[in-house]
Amino acid sequence: IFKKKKKILSIWRQKNQSFLLTAIVLCLDVGFAMGNAAPGEESPLEQAKKVMTKFLQRQVFAESKDEVAVVLFGTEGTRNDLASGDQYQNITVHRSLMLPDFDLLEDIQNVIQPGSEQADFLDAIIVCMDLLQKETIGKKYEKRHIELFTDLSSPVSEDQLEIIIANLKKTGILLQFFLPFPVDADDGGGGTSASAHSHVHRNSFARKGITEQQKEGIHVVKKLMHTLDEEGGLEEIYTFRESLERLSMFKKMERRPVAWPCQLTIGSNLSIRIVAYKSLTEEKVKKTWTVVDAKTLRKDDVQKETVYCLNDDDETEIQKDDTIQGFRYGSDIVPFSKVDEEQMKYKTEAKCFSVLGFSRSCQIQRQYYMGNQVLKVFAAKDDENAAVAFSALIHALAELKVVAIVRYAFDRRCNPQIGVAFPYIKDAYECLIYVQLPYMEDLRQYMFSSLKNNKKYIPTEDQLSAIDSLIDSMNLVYEDDDGESFEDLFKPSKIPNPHFQRLYQCLQHKAFYPNEPLPPIEPHLLEMLEMPCVVKERCQAPLEKVKALFPLKDVGKKKEDKTAQDIFKDNNEGGPNPKKPKAEDEEGGFSIISIAEGNVTSVSIFLQIFFLSQQLTNRIDQFLENKGSQYYMKGINCIKVFREEAIKLSKVQCFNDFLQALKSKVEDKALADFWEIVMQDRISLITKDEAEGSLVTSEEAEKVYIYFFNEHLFV
Amino acid sequence: MSDWVSYYRSEGAEEEDDEQEEGAEAVVEHKFAGRDSLIFLVDASKAMFESYENEEVFTPFDMTMQCIRNVYTSKIISSDRDLLSVVFYGTEKNKNSADFKRVYVLQELDNPGAKRVLELDKYRGDQGQILFRDTFGHSADYSLGEALWACSNLFSDVRVRMSHKRIMLFTNEDNPHANDSAKAKLARTRAGDLRDTGIILDLMHLKKPGGFDISLFYRDIINIAEDEDLGIQPHESGKLEHLMKKVRAKETKKRALVRLNLYLSKDLSLTVGVYSLLQKAYKPYPVKLYRETNEPIKTKTRMFNGKTGSLLLPSDTKRAQMYGNRQIVLEKEETEELKRFDLPGLVLIGFKPLSVLKQHHYIRPSQFVYPEEALVKGSTTLFNALLMKCLEREVLALCRYTPRRNTPPRFVALVPQEEELDEQKVQIAPPGFHLIFLPYADDKRKVDFTEKVPANREQVDKMKEIIQKLRFKYRTDSFENPVLQQHFRNLEALALDMMEPEQAEDLTMPKAEEMSRRLGNLVEEFKQLVYPPDYDPDRRAVKRKQGDGDGQTEKKPKTEISRDELRSHVQKGTLDSKTHFNMSKKTE
Repeated sequence: IFKKKKKILSIWRQKNQSFLLTAIVLCLDVGFAMGNAAPGEESPLEQAKKVMTKFLQRQVFAESKDEVAVVLFGTEGTRNDLASGDQYQNITVHRSLMLPDFDLLEDIQNVIQPGSEQADFLDAIIVCMDLLQKETIGKKYEKRHIELFTDLSSPVSEDQLEIIIANLKKTGILLQFFLPFPVDADDGGGGTSASAHSHVHRNSFARKGITEQQKEGIHVVKKLMHTLDEEGGLEEIYTFRESLERLSMFKKMERRPVAWPCQLTIGSNLSIRIVAYKSLTEEKVKKTWTVVDAKTLRKDDVQKETVYCLNDDDETEIQKDDTIQGFRYGSDIVPFSKVDEEQMKYKTEAKCFSVLGFSRSCQIQRQYYMGNQVLKVFAAKDDENAAVAFSALIHALAELKVVAIVRYAFDRRCNPQIGVAFPYIKDAYECLIYVQLPYMEDLRQYMFSSLKNNKKYIPTEDQLSAIDSLIDSMNLVYEDDDGESFEDLFKPSKIPNPHFQRLYQCLQHKAFYPNEPLPPIEPHLLEMLEMPCVVKERCQAPLEKVKALFPLKDVGKKKEDKTAQDIFKDNNEGGPNPKKPKAEDEEGGFSIISIAEGNVTSVSIFLQIFFLSQQLTNRIDQFLENKGSQYYMKGINCIKVFREEAIKLSKVQCFNDFLQALKSKVEDKALADFWEIVMQDRISLITKDEAEGSLVTSEEAEKVYIYFFNEHLFV
Repeated sequence: MSDWVSYYRSEGAEEEDDEQEEGAEAVVEHKFAGRDSLIFLVDASKAMFESYENEEVFTPFDMTMQCIRNVYTSKIISSDRDLLSVVFYGTEKNKNSADFKRVYVLQELDNPGAKRVLELDKYRGDQGQILFRDTFGHSADYSLGEALWACSNLFSDVRVRMSHKRIMLFTNEDNPHANDSAKAKLARTRAGDLRDTGIILDLMHLKKPGGFDISLFYRDIINIAEDEDLGIQPHESGKLEHLMKKVRAKETKKRALVRLNLYLSKDLSLTVGVYSLLQKAYKPYPVKLYRETNEPIKTKTRMFNGKTGSLLLPSDTKRAQMYGNRQIVLEKEETEELKRFDLPGLVLIGFKPLSVLKQHHYIRPSQFVYPEEALVKGSTTLFNALLMKCLEREVLALCRYTPRRNTPPRFVALVPQEEELDEQKVQIAPPGFHLIFLPYADDKRKVDFTEKVPANREQVDKMKEIIQKLRFKYRTDSFENPVLQQHFRNLEALALDMMEPEQAEDLTMPKAEEMSRRLGNLVEEFKQLVYPPDYDPDRRAVKRKQGDGDGQTEKKPKTEISRDELRSHVQKGTLDSKTHFNMSKKTE
């Protein structure tokens, strides 16, 4: 059964492997300016090489059949077909159009270095166009691309701009720019969502220190791209940064979707010709690992043998021919030969997409989606009648807010599915979207204790409002000023699967350095998976509040899942584990848990009171009401420990706010002697120098201190 | 000898590697945690055999037996290692290890199997009731306490380890020992004993004239599992459907796929359990049997060096991939390590309005998140606060999810789910968060869309009429898997020496006749509006079996197996009952 399923799956895969063949020229500026880097930053050339490497890794390890050429400009020498006299100098065709391979990756890593010359990027484009024209003659490419990587530092002559544009349009060659900085930093324009994305992460490639020459370059690039495509042209200009984060940038090089033609039927007399495509499915790593002998590294040296034996004490061996197939039926084991099974099994008959009926769309909840794919269903191509009938169905469904429940069978070898087809209407197209739904046998009807009927677990008003502020501060979606469009700071569907990038990185590393351990994960890859910086900063205070208001106590029964994991997962503890040291740091420090566990000093108990209810202020008030030095000392101790812990736990703002608030009380209650102690102990605001989160300079802190001091004098 | 064994790898292990990604981890805990056991304790006194209302087809007893049979067959499909038992009380005859009167153990705790299902079937329907009366008789003079005692004995007689012990009590008598305080007291004591030994006692109360009053007696008897407390008792069941729903909710012990931390920040986390409320049910793997005796056999696979013939330990091998002519070699551990990004956990990234979640962004079945108080105390309150606020503000929590150590992270949306009960106070949606997997950029594919040709108002309206005629209320349990059902019915027929398998209705097939009847002329009217007279949507269909006539009826899959075919199976000897190898728990 499972072999069969696999076979069918592999048929799907094979079909999917018919790629759109694309010819790509990577055109890289190696002019001398590309090698210049601000201190602590990578040079534009290094950044460009990184993007190219990532792109080529994808091509090499995904075994794409696309061919890639490399043209360098700004090289010392000249090697191209157009060069003559002083024309097209310092432009080198580094590699002709061919399948990318390890040599190319190695070249980019080691051979390609910044040159001492510079060249006009428009000339380079002409060389690339010429190369594409000549080298694709007689071959079948569906698309041709030029990817240009430059910092626009070289002089550019616009003479040939018109010719370039006309030629690109005529030949259908697509052009994409990759620059170290955004072109739309101040005047708006294209690529807003892309630049928003890089904003929220660390954006070290901001548009700073741009030269006049570069400004002119930007002008030319924009003119070129805008004339090529008035609507989308500017969106084909990317920064190095965003292309690293979103390799999906190279979106035009995708696999060709496989069409599944069928008929949608409603009852026995109404059918509409349709065609369906997989539009979403989890992309898996294509290649599997083969087992090789550790010494010879040869696959053929590893052989497998299967033995069959009885379940008796001697484990008596028997021949394979003496075995038959059976199935468990509860406590029974029923002999059931493959032939019989095949004959008696359910037969699907034919592929189908048959409507069983219609249901209110709210009755289908997305947590019940099943399977591993989403299909988009359209009317058949070049059939207007089908298109009209299909459109009627889509709009009728949308207007009634209903969905179709469908029996879907891919072909007669596949098991039938029940699924939902719902309408999806966009400006450009309309379709039905199909997702599988569960069978009764797939449901687990588990029951869970009520959370609202158990008083133990009902949060207080304070706790709820802390969660409220947390949600506010961690909101990822902003409504734009116009109130209509949204800006989403974190879109997982724009992020390339980090697993692939990591795998390719490791494969390349091991290809070049077979005996070294795996390299560490690239920081940009990890950064891409993190919360946006703005949110991280914003949510600190609300998080502290949540932490203070919700007591959490580790009961320490973690063992349980560890055993299950240890049994089934890799037991290797030797590998580098980037997170581990951090966790240990935390344990070493102060934690709310250690307070809750009661192994604390008396001072910490007061702290706990603060954390739990932010009532330290009140408590200190009480001490001060009593006006006795022993109470003062307790109060001062509290404040001191609070101050220390606030620094350790980056709760600087909490403490500073607290101290400021205390100021007014001192005024009200004329507590000169208390302030004398504060003064003696030199307790003041936590400054920038002491802790990262603080905005207070030491002068300011001193000022507040003096301020307190003066208050005291007035008394 | 022992070394030899360790070199073997079980057959199919490599294939399973793939599957393990999918969710085979669900089974992991299961295998090691022992068996679930469930006793159906059924009141067999006269009242159970009388219809409550005349129009009701089933007597309470009949409903109970249907329900139990249902559990048996579904356990055979989903978890055939669980132990089940049926005990009657209020019978004339008795059979149990302690010789209690009026208690009859029909089936001891054991795996469900074909013969047991067959035995249950004997007592269904009118004939079944007569047979029951003749075989066991009825008596009102029973002691519930003794019945519970007998159940407790059944549990202790089982030798295999049990992880979860449960009794479901079916009755329509709300005050069994109204006039006998000693028996009532004994029942309460025994119920207390059960509670102390961790045995759950659920009441599946059935409708009776005047209504079933739990407060009279059962409130002190039942023992609700700590993790199933709704704070409210479901209503009594008058219909099979209701009873089934109540039983279903409790028949399987829920198990977390994994328990992990939900990090609100680096140093603030609560613990949650992740569950799967959906688990694709597959045809089970076949087992290999010895032709002579039909006993199951073991298969072992060993690796050896083809040249030297020496055995290879796993450490004698590495893993490789070829690209072009270059072979890249990694240690096995490295192939795992490169998948490691994070420690297991859910890491909060932020919140988004529910409306931004795209309906069609789906890649794999959702999971369910519920707090785990046993690991970090206070988790439930924090979880509940998050849940309440996410519900109120209609937001989802976006998280980075690493379910296991060597698994690359995926982003998930935690979508809040409010607890929902139906009219009978049975939970239909538990409180918690649905964990919805979100696609990465690589998972999306560009498709080649067909240009739209908009339909006019008249055409859309006609289609609306068609739709209105074919509306029904979809329920998640509306459809059985015809492939699985057929498979298990075939096995059942073979196991029970039936002449032919019971025919399952294929609910996935369109009900062509009913649809035609409902639609009347609408289809013709619609076609006239959208298709030209000479248009035939089937014209380009590749293989059309029959050109004319009502094609749909021919499309019905041929599920029946002729008597002759089956007879030939029997004759081939595949059906010989004597050769069935009966698996017993006691052999383990």
